[in-house]
Amino acid sequence: MMTEKLSFKKGKRGRAAFIICNTIFLCLLMVIMVIPLWKVIVDSLDPTSVGIRLWPKQISFYAYKTILSKKSLYLPLLVSVYTTIGATAVGLLMTTLAAYVILQKEIPGRKLMITYIMFTMLFSGGMIPAYLNIQRLGLMNNLWVIILPAGVSTYNIVLMRSFFESIPSTLYEAAELDGCTPLRTFWKIVLPLSKPALASVGLFIAVGTWNEYMPFILYMQDNTKMNFQVKVRELILQDALAGTAISASDDMLKSAVVVVVVFPFLVIYPFVQKYFTKGVTVGAVKG
Amino acid sequence: MKSNKAKSTKYVPPKKNFRQKMIDIYHYRWFYLMFLPVFLSLLIFHYFPIYGIKYAFYDYTPFKEPEWVGWENFSYLFDSARFWRAFRNTIELSLVKLVLGMVFSVGLALLIDEIKSVGFRKVTQTIVYIPHFISWVVVASIFTLFLSPQSGMVNAIITAFGGEPIYFLASDSWWRVVFQLLNIWKETGWGTIIYIAALAGVDQEMYEAAAIDGATHWQRVRHVSIPAISVTILTVFILNLAKVLNLFDSVFVLQNDSVIKSSDVIGTYVYRMGIVSADYGVSTASGLFKSVISVLLITIANHLNKKIKGEGILG
Repeated sequence: MMTEKLSFKKGKRGRAAFIICNTIFLCLLMVIMVIPLWKVIVDSLDPTSVGIRLWPKQISFYAYKTILSKKSLYLPLLVSVYTTIGATAVGLLMTTLAAYVILQKEIPGRKLMITYIMFTMLFSGGMIPAYLNIQRLGLMNNLWVIILPAGVSTYNIVLMRSFFESIPSTLYEAAELDGCTPLRTFWKIVLPLSKPALASVGLFIAVGTWNEYMPFILYMQDNTKMNFQVKVRELILQDALAGTAISASDDMLKSAVVVVVVFPFLVIYPFVQKYFTKGVTVGAVKG
Repeated sequence: MKSNKAKSTKYVPPKKNFRQKMIDIYHYRWFYLMFLPVFLSLLIFHYFPIYGIKYAFYDYTPFKEPEWVGWENFSYLFDSARFWRAFRNTIELSLVKLVLGMVFSVGLALLIDEIKSVGFRKVTQTIVYIPHFISWVVVASIFTLFLSPQSGMVNAIITAFGGEPIYFLASDSWWRVVFQLLNIWKETGWGTIIYIAALAGVDQEMYEAAAIDGATHWQRVRHVSIPAISVTILTVFILNLAKVLNLFDSVFVLQNDSVIKSSDVIGTYVYRMGIVSADYGVSTASGLFKSVISVLLITIANHLNKKIKGEGILG
């Protein structure tokens, strides 16, 4: 990085002006980006805050209390938590297993296995055949339909493999010579050494599952099996199209469910941002 | 056999007889066991549905047994104005989204690259990435509130200046604008990551050489930075081009009956035909049509990508 000091000497003025303008522009951009989110938070707390106000005049936790007291809102939250934890665990296990097997350069049938995984990225049956398949298997209304397929993505497997490749292969060989079975090597050596990779892929799966919407709409029929995303949408749409005047408390509740659904992410995000970015750049390098 | 175990991984002769192959397979038996869950998961959730593609050639609804009709579903689709409308909308929305996303991401990446203060840079990156992680359902919810004609902030500003409130999401002319703006809001920041990484990889000596030659800062950006990331730009563009038909979630959650005309895409068309109207034959056929074109696009993209990357290394 070039080191450059802000200087107003002749000939450097244009540059200084650019740096100032750039800083101001980016600050403005961030403010504009954050306003819709900030506004939702303010509206969820302030019963009088509709319209332009960006700072709460009074604070009330009425909406949040309602969410926790109503079973119809509380249960979807549990479903979200349950599927997210389940899918992350299953997804991480499957992704690491697949990546570790593919890492074995000389395993008979390696090419076949890679093709088997890669093909899923190229071609799929589409929405309706997938729906009919789940129906035929009798898995409608079963949350495992959400949990099981969530993590097994080609992208994650490729990502994990590139991480694994950075572990020196002499470590595996040493373990093998010591009589470790591959399963044991996997548990005792590969997984502990790839914690950053696990964090990266795990976070992607977790956010993805937390944000899942369509599979619930397609495969879940029972109201008790819906996650919070579905609930948020239901609430927002309730009278959005009716065009009738909405009471302030309704608006508060709507804003509050939106806050609840993004809150867990916003809390952990600053601490785990590097894992997300790393995942993208590693994946990009490997193509 | 046990004594063979360690050896068989090492020197692999070019041709193996059956016995040796079996020994190899036995040696890797644990790995096959480890692959089993992945194999089954993909089989059940990915390969089984592919079998269901045959319904593209059947007349099939929940109330009757599937009946073979050949290409009839396809001729129905190709005669259907709604299908072509969905097709056209998909291409239009996707391409505009692709180009805008590209331009804004590259632009923002170049601006972020100009930040010299590590702290400010980090804060900027952290903030602009956030919207990417918010699901489309929630984005739609946030902006339904934000753009609401009754209580939304945008319309409050419009009415404060004496204007009439606009129902952005229910107006055919506004819907597409909002759709593109929301895509920019959500994905521009995240899109910069790859370009920022590419910019960080540019050889500093190139900038220094340009500076010695008397290049202004802008000239350095124009003639060093942008050419340096042009391969990345092209790669991202091609890979995204292969996905133009995949538009679904974002449209689905922002759509409503009053804007079907300008917002219906193949994905939502399939959903309405298949899930809402339960015409499994026609909807599978339109899904298949989309998949086949997508495979073609991916194959072409892959081919182009190899070519560009090859040239990129040589040049």
